[in-house]
Amino acid sequence: MTTVKIVRSVLEANDAVAAVNRKLLDEHHTLGVNLMSAPGSGKTTLLQETIPRLGHPCAVMVGDLQTTRDADRLRVDSVETVQINTGRGCHLSSTQVADGLAAIDLAGIDFLFIENVGNMVCPASHDLGEHFRCVILSVPEGDDKVAKYPTIFQAADIILVNKIDLAGILDFSMQRVLDDLAQLNTAAPVLTLSARTGQGLDEWVQWLRQKRSKRAAAAL
Amino acid sequence: MHEASIAESLIEQVLDLARLHRLQEVTRVHVEVGVQRLVVPEALELAFQAASEETLAAGARLDLTEVAIRARCQACGNEYDAEIDDYTCPSCGRAQAELIAGDDIVLVSLEGNREDEHDHRQDRSQRVGGE
Repeated sequence: MTTVKIVRSVLEANDAVAAVNRKLLDEHHTLGVNLMSAPGSGKTTLLQETIPRLGHPCAVMVGDLQTTRDADRLRVDSVETVQINTGRGCHLSSTQVADGLAAIDLAGIDFLFIENVGNMVCPASHDLGEHFRCVILSVPEGDDKVAKYPTIFQAADIILVNKIDLAGILDFSMQRVLDDLAQLNTAAPVLTLSARTGQGLDEWVQWLRQKRSKRAAAAL
Repeated sequence: MHEASIAESLIEQVLDLARLHRLQEVTRVHVEVGVQRLVVPEALELAFQAASEETLAAGARLDLTEVAIRARCQACGNEYDAEIDDYTCPSCGRAQAELIAGDDIVLVSLEGNREDEHDHRQDRSQRVGGE
Protein backbone atom coordinates (compact mmCIF):
# COMPACT_ATOMS: atom_id res chain seq x y z
CA MET A 1 0.00 0.00 0.00
CA THR A 2 1.23 3.50 -0.82
CA THR A 3 0.29 6.69 0.99
CA VAL A 4 0.59 9.98 -0.86
CA LYS A 5 0.67 13.02 1.40
CA ILE A 6 -0.24 16.32 -0.17
CA VAL A 7 -1.78 19.58 0.90
CA ARG A 8 -3.79 20.88 -1.97
CA SER A 9 -6.97 22.91 -1.95
CA VAL A 10 -9.79 21.15 -3.71
CA LEU A 11 -11.03 24.61 -4.68
CA GLU A 12 -7.78 25.58 -6.41
CA ALA A 13 -9.06 24.79 -9.90
CA ASN A 14 -12.05 27.08 -9.36
CA ASP A 15 -9.92 29.76 -7.70
CA ALA A 16 -7.30 29.72 -10.48
CA VAL A 17 -9.94 30.35 -13.13
CA ALA A 18 -11.50 33.03 -10.89
CA ALA A 19 -8.14 34.80 -10.76
CA VAL A 20 -7.94 34.77 -14.56
CA ASN A 21 -11.48 36.19 -14.79
CA ARG A 22 -10.59 38.97 -12.34
CA LYS A 23 -7.45 39.86 -14.30
CA LEU A 24 -9.47 40.06 -17.51
CA LEU A 25 -11.96 42.41 -15.85
CA ASP A 26 -9.09 44.51 -14.47
CA GLU A 27 -7.51 44.82 -17.91
CA HIS A 28 -10.74 46.31 -19.22
CA HIS A 29 -11.37 48.45 -16.11
CA THR A 30 -14.63 46.59 -15.66
CA LEU A 31 -15.96 46.30 -12.13
CA GLY A 32 -17.33 42.80 -11.47
CA VAL A 33 -20.19 42.48 -8.98
CA ASN A 34 -21.54 39.09 -7.94
CA LEU A 35 -25.19 39.36 -6.89
CA MET A 36 -26.28 36.61 -4.54
CA SER A 37 -29.66 36.04 -2.94
CA ALA A 38 -32.58 33.68 -2.54
CA PRO A 39 -34.86 33.14 -5.57
CA GLY A 40 -37.39 35.93 -5.94
CA SER A 41 -35.50 38.59 -4.01
CA GLY A 42 -35.66 40.89 -7.02
CA LYS A 43 -32.18 40.60 -8.52
CA THR A 44 -33.33 41.04 -12.11
CA THR A 45 -35.71 43.91 -11.31
CA LEU A 46 -32.96 45.57 -9.31
CA LEU A 47 -30.64 45.38 -12.33
CA GLN A 48 -33.35 46.71 -14.65
CA GLU A 49 -33.65 49.73 -12.37
CA THR A 50 -29.94 50.10 -11.60
CA ILE A 51 -28.41 50.02 -15.07
CA PRO A 52 -30.26 53.06 -16.55
CA ARG A 53 -29.49 55.07 -13.38
CA LEU A 54 -25.80 54.18 -13.52
CA GLY A 55 -25.42 55.66 -16.97
CA HIS A 56 -22.41 53.47 -17.72
CA PRO A 57 -22.14 50.66 -20.25
CA CYS A 58 -22.97 47.42 -18.42
CA ALA A 59 -23.01 43.73 -19.13
CA VAL A 60 -24.98 41.12 -17.24
CA MET A 61 -24.35 37.44 -16.82
CA VAL A 62 -27.36 35.55 -15.53
CA GLY A 63 -27.18 32.13 -13.91
CA ASP A 64 -30.29 29.99 -13.67
CA LEU A 65 -30.92 26.29 -13.69
CA GLN A 66 -33.27 26.67 -16.67
CA THR A 67 -34.81 29.24 -19.05
CA THR A 68 -33.49 32.47 -20.54
CA ARG A 69 -36.28 34.55 -18.95
CA ASP A 70 -34.02 36.75 -16.83
CA ALA A 71 -31.65 37.41 -19.71
CA ASP A 72 -34.64 38.19 -21.95
CA ARG A 73 -35.95 40.71 -19.42
CA LEU A 74 -32.60 42.48 -19.32
CA ARG A 75 -31.85 42.32 -23.03
CA VAL A 76 -34.73 44.71 -23.72
CA ASP A 77 -32.67 47.46 -22.13
CA SER A 78 -29.94 47.08 -24.77
CA VAL A 79 -27.59 45.66 -22.19
CA GLU A 80 -25.12 43.02 -23.26
CA THR A 81 -26.51 39.87 -21.63
CA VAL A 82 -25.34 36.29 -21.36
CA GLN A 83 -27.51 33.57 -19.90
CA ILE A 84 -25.81 30.61 -18.27
CA ASN A 85 -27.97 27.58 -17.61
CA THR A 86 -26.42 25.55 -14.86
CA GLY A 87 -28.76 22.56 -15.29
CA ARG A 88 -28.40 20.73 -12.01
CA GLY A 89 -25.88 23.23 -10.64
CA CYS A 90 -27.03 25.27 -7.65
CA HIS A 91 -24.40 28.01 -8.12
CA LEU A 92 -22.24 29.53 -10.83
CA SER A 93 -18.65 28.35 -11.11
CA SER A 94 -15.66 30.37 -12.25
CA THR A 95 -15.43 28.21 -15.39
CA GLN A 96 -18.99 29.05 -16.37
CA VAL A 97 -18.21 32.73 -15.85
CA ALA A 98 -15.06 32.36 -17.97
CA ASP A 99 -17.19 30.86 -20.77
CA GLY A 100 -19.66 33.71 -20.36
CA LEU A 101 -16.88 36.30 -20.48
CA ALA A 102 -15.68 34.82 -23.78
CA ALA A 103 -19.07 35.77 -25.22
CA ILE A 104 -18.87 39.40 -24.09
CA ASP A 105 -16.77 42.14 -25.64
CA LEU A 106 -15.55 43.80 -22.45
CA ALA A 107 -14.02 46.79 -24.24
CA GLY A 108 -15.94 49.83 -23.05
CA ILE A 109 -17.96 47.87 -20.47
CA ASP A 110 -17.67 49.56 -17.06
CA PHE A 111 -19.72 47.18 -14.95
CA LEU A 112 -20.30 43.44 -15.16
CA PHE A 113 -23.13 42.18 -12.99
CA ILE A 114 -23.13 38.47 -12.36
CA GLU A 115 -26.58 37.40 -11.26
CA ASN A 116 -25.90 34.16 -9.43
CA VAL A 117 -28.34 31.26 -9.12
CA GLY A 118 -30.96 32.05 -6.48
CA ASN A 119 -29.61 30.21 -3.46
CA MET A 120 -28.41 31.37 -0.04
CA VAL A 121 -25.88 28.58 0.57
CA CYS A 122 -23.89 27.30 -2.39
CA PRO A 123 -22.88 30.52 -4.20
CA ALA A 124 -21.13 31.73 -1.04
CA SER A 125 -18.37 29.15 -1.43
CA HIS A 126 -17.36 29.90 -5.01
CA ASP A 127 -15.16 32.77 -6.09
CA LEU A 128 -16.13 33.71 -9.62
CA GLY A 129 -13.50 36.38 -10.17
CA GLU A 130 -15.75 39.25 -9.13
CA HIS A 131 -14.43 42.29 -7.27
CA PHE A 132 -17.36 42.62 -4.89
CA ARG A 133 -20.00 40.35 -3.47
CA CYS A 134 -23.41 41.86 -3.05
CA VAL A 135 -25.99 39.95 -1.02
CA ILE A 136 -29.63 40.88 -1.39
CA LEU A 137 -32.24 40.11 1.24
CA SER A 138 -35.82 41.00 0.39
CA VAL A 139 -38.38 41.90 3.01
CA PRO A 140 -40.90 39.10 2.21
CA GLU A 141 -38.23 36.50 3.00
CA GLY A 142 -38.34 37.57 6.64
CA ASP A 143 -36.07 39.40 9.05
CA ASP A 144 -34.66 36.13 10.43
CA LYS A 145 -32.74 35.12 7.29
CA VAL A 146 -29.44 36.72 8.26
CA ALA A 147 -29.15 34.46 11.29
CA LYS A 148 -30.31 31.45 9.30
CA TYR A 149 -27.79 31.82 6.45
CA PRO A 150 -24.81 33.39 8.21
CA THR A 151 -21.99 32.49 5.82
CA ILE A 152 -23.32 34.35 2.79
CA PHE A 153 -23.74 37.51 4.88
CA GLN A 154 -20.34 37.11 6.50
CA ALA A 155 -18.70 37.06 3.07
CA ALA A 156 -20.65 40.04 1.68
CA ASP A 157 -19.03 43.34 0.67
CA ILE A 158 -22.40 45.09 0.58
CA ILE A 159 -25.85 44.04 1.76
CA LEU A 160 -29.02 45.31 0.12
CA VAL A 161 -32.39 44.97 1.84
CA ASN A 162 -34.81 45.11 -1.07
CA LYS A 163 -38.62 45.60 -1.20
CA ILE A 164 -38.32 47.86 1.84
CA ASP A 165 -41.65 49.44 0.82
CA LEU A 166 -43.28 46.23 2.15
CA ALA A 167 -41.64 46.40 5.59
CA GLY A 168 -44.69 47.87 7.32
CA ILE A 169 -47.17 45.42 5.81
CA LEU A 170 -45.04 42.41 6.68
CA ASP A 171 -43.87 43.43 10.18
CA PHE A 172 -40.28 43.24 9.05
CA SER A 173 -37.84 44.40 11.71
CA MET A 174 -34.81 46.12 10.23
CA GLN A 175 -33.37 46.26 13.74
CA ARG A 176 -33.37 42.48 13.93
CA VAL A 177 -31.44 42.31 10.65
CA LEU A 178 -28.88 44.82 11.94
CA ASP A 179 -28.56 43.01 15.29
CA ASP A 180 -27.85 39.73 13.50
CA LEU A 181 -25.39 41.40 11.13
CA ALA A 182 -23.53 42.87 14.11
CA GLN A 183 -22.35 39.33 14.89
CA LEU A 184 -21.45 38.48 11.31
CA ASN A 185 -20.28 41.46 9.35
CA THR A 186 -19.87 45.04 10.51
CA ALA A 187 -17.63 45.99 7.57
CA ALA A 188 -20.21 45.77 4.77
CA PRO A 189 -22.55 48.72 4.28
CA VAL A 190 -26.25 47.88 4.58
CA LEU A 191 -28.57 49.74 2.22
CA THR A 192 -32.35 49.59 2.34
CA LEU A 193 -34.05 50.09 -0.99
CA SER A 194 -36.96 49.25 -3.20
CA ALA A 195 -36.33 48.49 -6.86
CA ARG A 196 -40.07 48.97 -7.44
CA THR A 197 -40.45 52.47 -5.98
CA GLY A 198 -36.86 53.60 -6.54
CA GLN A 199 -36.32 54.34 -2.85
CA GLY A 200 -32.66 54.05 -1.87
CA LEU A 201 -31.42 53.30 -5.38
CA ASP A 202 -29.32 56.46 -5.49
CA GLU A 203 -27.11 55.29 -2.59
CA TRP A 204 -26.59 51.93 -4.29
CA VAL A 205 -25.69 53.54 -7.60
CA GLN A 206 -23.37 55.89 -5.73
CA TRP A 207 -21.65 52.95 -4.04
CA LEU A 208 -21.11 51.23 -7.41
CA ARG A 209 -19.64 54.36 -8.99
CA GLN A 210 -17.34 54.95 -6.03
CA LYS A 211 -16.02 51.40 -6.07
CA ARG A 212 -15.30 51.60 -9.77
CA SER A 213 -13.51 54.94 -9.63
CA LYS A 214 -11.46 53.77 -6.65
CA ARG A 215 -10.31 50.70 -8.55
CA ALA A 216 -9.64 52.71 -11.69
CA ALA A 217 -7.55 55.18 -9.65
CA ALA A 218 -5.62 52.32 -8.04
CA ALA A 219 -4.86 50.83 -11.45
CA LEU A 220 -3.24 54.04 -12.72
CA MET B 1 -25.91 20.52 -3.09
CA HIS B 2 -22.60 22.26 -3.81
CA GLU B 3 -21.14 18.95 -2.62
CA ALA B 4 -21.53 17.64 -6.19
CA SER B 5 -19.16 20.21 -7.68
CA ILE B 6 -16.74 19.80 -4.77
CA ALA B 7 -16.72 16.03 -5.31
CA GLU B 8 -16.01 16.50 -9.01
CA SER B 9 -13.01 18.77 -8.30
CA LEU B 10 -11.83 16.36 -5.64
CA ILE B 11 -11.99 13.29 -7.85
CA GLU B 12 -10.12 15.15 -10.62
CA GLN B 13 -7.27 15.93 -8.22
CA VAL B 14 -7.27 12.41 -6.81
CA LEU B 15 -7.00 10.88 -10.29
CA ASP B 16 -4.21 13.30 -11.30
CA LEU B 17 -2.22 12.37 -8.21
CA ALA B 18 -2.92 8.68 -8.67
CA ARG B 19 -1.48 8.85 -12.19
CA LEU B 20 1.51 10.88 -11.01
CA HIS B 21 2.30 8.34 -8.30
CA ARG B 22 1.47 5.40 -10.57
CA LEU B 23 -1.33 4.14 -8.37
CA GLN B 24 -3.40 1.39 -9.91
CA GLU B 25 -6.20 1.93 -7.45
CA VAL B 26 -7.07 4.42 -4.75
CA THR B 27 -8.44 2.95 -1.55
CA ARG B 28 -8.68 5.93 0.82
CA VAL B 29 -8.94 9.70 0.44
CA HIS B 30 -8.57 12.13 3.33
CA VAL B 31 -9.90 15.68 3.12
CA GLU B 32 -10.01 18.49 5.64
CA VAL B 33 -13.18 20.50 5.32
CA GLY B 34 -13.53 23.98 6.75
CA VAL B 35 -16.73 24.57 8.71
CA GLN B 36 -17.32 27.78 6.73
CA ARG B 37 -17.82 25.74 3.56
CA LEU B 38 -21.12 24.30 4.83
CA VAL B 39 -20.34 20.84 3.54
CA VAL B 40 -22.69 18.09 4.64
CA PRO B 41 -20.37 15.10 5.13
CA GLU B 42 -22.94 12.50 4.05
CA ALA B 43 -23.75 14.50 0.93
CA LEU B 44 -20.07 14.81 0.02
CA GLU B 45 -19.55 11.07 0.57
CA LEU B 46 -22.46 10.24 -1.71
CA ALA B 47 -21.32 12.72 -4.35
CA PHE B 48 -17.77 11.36 -4.13
CA GLN B 49 -19.05 7.81 -4.62
CA ALA B 50 -20.99 8.89 -7.68
CA ALA B 51 -18.08 10.90 -9.14
CA SER B 52 -15.59 8.08 -8.59
CA GLU B 53 -17.61 5.41 -10.35
CA GLU B 54 -15.65 3.61 -13.06
CA THR B 55 -12.41 5.36 -12.09
CA LEU B 56 -9.28 4.24 -10.22
CA ALA B 57 -10.89 5.57 -7.07
CA ALA B 58 -14.13 3.62 -7.30
CA GLY B 59 -15.02 2.27 -3.88
CA ALA B 60 -12.39 4.37 -2.09
CA ARG B 61 -13.14 5.40 1.47
CA LEU B 62 -13.55 9.12 2.00
CA ASP B 63 -12.38 10.39 5.39
CA LEU B 64 -13.45 13.88 6.40
CA THR B 65 -11.95 16.00 9.13
CA GLU B 66 -13.71 19.22 10.06
CA VAL B 67 -11.57 22.32 10.54
CA ALA B 68 -12.85 25.04 12.90
CA ILE B 69 -13.02 28.69 11.87
CA ARG B 70 -10.08 30.87 12.84
CA ALA B 71 -10.30 34.59 12.16
CA ARG B 72 -8.08 37.67 12.10
CA CYS B 73 -9.84 40.90 12.99
CA GLN B 74 -9.33 43.41 10.19
CA ALA B 75 -10.06 46.22 12.62
CA CYS B 76 -7.65 45.43 15.47
CA GLY B 77 -5.51 42.52 14.22
CA ASN B 78 -6.52 40.11 16.97
CA GLU B 79 -6.64 36.40 16.04
CA TYR B 80 -9.46 34.33 17.48
CA ASP B 81 -11.75 31.30 17.06
CA ALA B 82 -15.00 32.28 15.35
CA GLU B 83 -18.26 30.38 15.18
CA ILE B 84 -20.42 29.94 12.09
CA ASP B 85 -23.03 32.28 13.60
CA ASP B 86 -20.71 34.66 15.44
CA TYR B 87 -17.59 36.29 14.03
CA THR B 88 -17.31 39.10 16.55
CA CYS B 89 -13.81 39.85 17.77
CA PRO B 90 -13.52 39.19 21.52
CA SER B 91 -11.06 42.04 21.74
CA CYS B 92 -12.82 44.95 19.95
CA GLY B 93 -16.35 43.61 19.43
CA ARG B 94 -16.41 44.25 15.69
CA ALA B 95 -17.26 41.61 13.09
CA GLN B 96 -14.67 42.28 10.40
CA ALA B 97 -13.21 38.83 10.20
CA GLU B 98 -10.67 37.72 7.67
CA LEU B 99 -10.78 33.94 7.80
CA ILE B 100 -7.40 32.29 8.24
CA ALA B 101 -8.65 28.73 8.79
CA GLY B 102 -11.87 26.81 8.31
CA ASP B 103 -12.60 28.34 4.91
CA ASP B 104 -10.99 25.78 2.64
CA ILE B 105 -11.35 22.20 1.51
CA VAL B 106 -7.97 20.51 1.41
CA LEU B 107 -6.94 17.14 0.08
CA VAL B 108 -4.32 15.97 2.59
CA SER B 109 -3.58 12.38 1.66
CA LEU B 110 -4.60 9.42 -0.36
CA GLU B 111 -3.81 5.75 -0.14
CA GLY B 112 -3.69 3.16 -2.84
CA ASN B 113 -1.74 0.44 -4.52
CA ARG B 114 1.05 1.07 -6.99
CA GLU B 115 1.29 -0.59 -10.34
CA ASP B 116 4.39 -2.53 -9.26
CA GLU B 117 2.68 -3.63 -6.03
CA HIS B 118 -0.21 -4.76 -8.11
CA ASP B 119 2.01 -6.42 -10.73
CA HIS B 120 3.78 -8.24 -7.96
CA ARG B 121 0.52 -9.63 -6.67
CA GLN B 122 -0.49 -10.55 -10.19
CA ASP B 123 2.81 -12.37 -10.79
CA ARG B 124 2.26 -14.36 -7.66
CA SER B 125 -1.30 -15.24 -8.53
CA GLN B 126 -0.22 -16.23 -12.01
CA ARG B 127 2.43 -18.47 -10.49
CA VAL B 128 -0.12 -19.99 -8.15
CA GLY B 129 -2.45 -20.44 -11.09
CA GLY B 130 0.31 -22.11 -13.09
CA GLU B 131 1.10 -24.70 -10.53
